[in-house]
Amino acid sequence: MTTALPLEAELTAAIEVTARGGPALDFEAWAVRIFAHQFERNAPYRTVCERRGVTPSVVARWEDVPPVPTAAFRQHELTCGPPEAIFRTSGTTAGPATRGAHLVPHLDLYRASALAAFREFVLPDGVRPSSLFLLPSPARRPESSLVRMCAWVGETLGSRHDWFLGEGGLETERLLQQLGERAERGETVLLAGPTAAFADLFDACRARRRTLRLGPGSRVMDTGGAKGLRRPLSRAGFLRECWTHLGVAGYSCVNEYGMTELCSQRYDSALVDRFRGRNLAPRRLLAPPWLRTRVVDPDTLELVPPGATGLLCHHDLANAGSVSVVLTEDLGRTVGDDGIEVMGRVAGALPRGCGLLLAEPGSG
Amino acid sequence: MTTPAQVPEIETGAGLHARIEAAARARSRLVNRPLTGTVASLAAAATAWREDTELARALPSVARLDPTMVAALLPLVAEALDADAMAALVESELGTRASARPAPTEVALVAHVLASNVPALALPAIALSCLTGAAVVVKSGRDDPLSALAFQRALAAVDPDLAATVVTAYWPGGAPELEEVLLARADVAVLTGGEPALAALARRVGGRLVTHGPRLSLAAVGRDGLEEADRVAHAIAIDVALYEQRGCLSPRAVYVESGGGLPPRDFAERLAATLDGLAERLPLVSPSLEERALARILRDGSDWTPGTAVLSGRGGTVVYDEDPSFRPTLPPRSLRVHPIASLTALPGLLPAAQIECVGLAGGDPRALVPALREHGVSRLCPAGRMQRPPLTWPRGQHAPLGALLGHPGLPRCTVET
Repeated sequence: MTTALPLEAELTAAIEVTARGGPALDFEAWAVRIFAHQFERNAPYRTVCERRGVTPSVVARWEDVPPVPTAAFRQHELTCGPPEAIFRTSGTTAGPATRGAHLVPHLDLYRASALAAFREFVLPDGVRPSSLFLLPSPARRPESSLVRMCAWVGETLGSRHDWFLGEGGLETERLLQQLGERAERGETVLLAGPTAAFADLFDACRARRRTLRLGPGSRVMDTGGAKGLRRPLSRAGFLRECWTHLGVAGYSCVNEYGMTELCSQRYDSALVDRFRGRNLAPRRLLAPPWLRTRVVDPDTLELVPPGATGLLCHHDLANAGSVSVVLTEDLGRTVGDDGIEVMGRVAGALPRGCGLLLAEPGSG
Repeated sequence: MTTPAQVPEIETGAGLHARIEAAARARSRLVNRPLTGTVASLAAAATAWREDTELARALPSVARLDPTMVAALLPLVAEALDADAMAALVESELGTRASARPAPTEVALVAHVLASNVPALALPAIALSCLTGAAVVVKSGRDDPLSALAFQRALAAVDPDLAATVVTAYWPGGAPELEEVLLARADVAVLTGGEPALAALARRVGGRLVTHGPRLSLAAVGRDGLEEADRVAHAIAIDVALYEQRGCLSPRAVYVESGGGLPPRDFAERLAATLDGLAERLPLVSPSLEERALARILRDGSDWTPGTAVLSGRGGTVVYDEDPSFRPTLPPRSLRVHPIASLTALPGLLPAAQIECVGLAGGDPRALVPALREHGVSRLCPAGRMQRPPLTWPRGQHAPLGALLGHPGLPRCTVET
């Protein structure tokens, strides 16, 4: 006799099995089952689905599950049960009312998804780095999903960790001191945070004529892209500065694409491609097997041709406790058969994203 | 020879400098000429410019507008340079019988950097500068390098001496040498555009600086206006459609008084239907991917927002929104319709220093003026005329000639009837 597990617990276990190299998830079966689960328990979602004539009885494919725009997270509590955590989007100009909230009823599912993907794409060699996060601590920003994820990474996948975004912004002196000490010891370091915080770090290094050479296997994980940047910084420029100021080669710099509304993330392919012997493959953002992304035409929401630009619509099974299909305000395109490239936010859409953590260090 | 329909070639800084110096010398030859001649020549040139078939043929592709739209816009731009209206402006700002006297002499050169969002911004820029007695150099925006040149040629045909005081220029942007020549020598630089562009250029201005940054507009319908709901809906639809809502005078919201003959929600539906019908006469240009994405974001976001209804069709997107806070829409031909208990509450809903124009249907405009002026509004006009600003429009609340001459006066808010 098998014990009936709540769906989220069952999915958590399935993700962990898949992440350990076990049988692959049946994405479609899970997607259909999760939609029925959400339709039953998530009242605002059910209301909109019914208005559109979409019920579990007519959803046979994962592509049939109705998407939810990110704007809906600003208006409704889209959850299938009492939340264990509430994560809020960042945003500086439009005020708290325009910040979206992702209510997560099963943190274990988020944790399993986030850690499995991080391990796969950022630490594929199994190293346990000393982690320095250019972020506020969880005590200061309990509503940041990125901070929560990094806390799990630091506790579970690293040797030790610390936080370097304080009330007054990036704690440059303390950070440079710690980086210097680790560099001297030749420690493997994981340096992670918003791209904008790295730009501030580079500026500080330049101003102090400081050049670091972090230990072998050290790596960088940045997220947020141009959001919150005080000066223009291209991707190529970012990689160049990682080498110049930190001594971290471009293939060890992994860009993360995540959203508060999702429990899974995409990561730059560079490092995992290197470990898999695919050095010549183009840089692209890869996802774990439980996250799929459709690039859709804004008018029809139908798939655009491969490589064409459209709106990104994510289907994240790890969002089983809220809504799985999220239509973003980001433009992107597919790269190859397993990746995407994010072109940026639609011009004029509300600013949001973890890059803005720098601009609001005291909030939350 | 360059025809008016050809995009002008990029020149060197030395070439631009020489043309500006020549315009300054030409201006010195006109210092004793009465303004009546200038007024008459500008009006005649505008009439000829309006009929420029080459311009009408070439402008749609560079301005990304349908030919029908361009054909509708050219007369509206030209009508602002009406001789009587210009004479009245001169008299009101420069004093009684000022038209009969020579132009002022305190400003020798005005430089304009025009925005790219709407075409033909060069005409009022040139006209106002000529009326202050200055030579003028106009740097056109990317989406219309043609109108200024076409107007200068029209002016040269009727008044070569005055046309010699006008320099038209175009380059795609980011040309420091040319920008230096343009901005350093001018007594007054008038910059129009987005905040980053203004900030970058403002640092290089040698003389007095006048800026026109991004602004928004809206319409308001009183209960009495709803008695002619069809006419008013058509008027507002015209204001929305002209220039594809790219300009600062394009309404992004409509406030409709409750308790009239038509509920605000029904007015929203009528406006959506009118926009659909108007799209037959004034077709939308194919929207860009970003514009289509913005429309999707607006529709889907509104669909999930309590108290809203999305009324979208082939002519645009109307969102009926019970929340009265002003949240401008972004996609082409889109706007929110908000119910409002009384138009007197309107000023309190608006952000300060962001609204340029209010198009009114019904209600008492004069009762609204003091509060709207406080909020930075410069213009109240009848709905349907928002895209037909007269030369007297005190843009940014400044007197049009006074702003160039250095005495803009108290903040202005005009009422057009």
